[in-house]
Amino acid sequence: MAEAGQRVLVFRLGKIAFMLDLAQIVEIVEQTADILDPGRSDISRGIVSALQFRQTWVPVVDPALKLDIFSPVALKDKVAIILRSSEGNWALLVDGVSELQLAENFQPCEIPFLLQVSASGFYSEVRLLKGKPVVVFEPESYYGSAPVVA
Amino acid sequence: MNRFGLFRIRNAGFAIPLAQILRILEGAEEYQLPRLPGAVSAVLVDEGRLIPLIDLGGALGVGTDCPIGCGYQVLVESEHGVIALAADSSGRIVAEKKGQILPLPPKEQVIGVVGRFSYLDDVYNILNIDFLAIEMTQAYWQNQSDTGGARRHQ
Repeated sequence: MAEAGQRVLVFRLGKIAFMLDLAQIVEIVEQTADILDPGRSDISRGIVSALQFRQTWVPVVDPALKLDIFSPVALKDKVAIILRSSEGNWALLVDGVSELQLAENFQPCEIPFLLQVSASGFYSEVRLLKGKPVVVFEPESYYGSAPVVA
Repeated sequence: MNRFGLFRIRNAGFAIPLAQILRILEGAEEYQLPRLPGAVSAVLVDEGRLIPLIDLGGALGVGTDCPIGCGYQVLVESEHGVIALAADSSGRIVAEKKGQILPLPPKEQVIGVVGRFSYLDDVYNILNIDFLAIEMTQAYWQNQSDTGGARRHQ
């Protein structure tokens, strides 16, 4: 991702910042309490709930579970980022959305050799924004196949 | 002349050959990343690089539950890259000849510790940094990562 002029969204899970290519995002839904249905879950596929979005139900994935991140935010207070994929729209639950940034504001940063094994399968890229690490979020690891960019 | 950097963490002393110490930071900002190995409590950013911060408390038998006192971080060069070791005190540099090197008693073998250095009234564990760097990120301590995220935030 991260070509010149591209914009990215920075969001938070627990104390960790992530970045996501804005072109993959359909919409950000900040009030989710009344449109979530945890009864429509499929835990074997990492789907913790369903969310009503534009007169349809879309699967909801909580990446904090896979990433083993402690989230202090209750399910009903989370923000949903609606993403498009080859299998249709789906929702990513996050603790909060921080800011929009230009991709060129991020500096490349290698994952140390000693952390590459533990990161493998969960993330493959970290960048620095104002000297702070931001994990490049890879949606295809969580739902659907290749992301569909608008 | 061999010299050691002497540090303490939760009342356990450790010694590092001075040639491997890059610098000592005080209160450097610590960041979380997903799925850090259990012995890696955070990462630091130093000169645009990510540095794993290792809490030696578990390896030295003094636990990892208590917060670290003064928040020093010792940046150390290993064969596998730079690591940071959390320490309570800023440490001191002591020539090997000012103290005494002691072998580890057979019943007190500690992972990554190659001997002891006695200086004044204290004894410090001499660390094998290259071994510890691998051991605490890839081997036994790596297997603690499933609960690492939750434990680190308690």
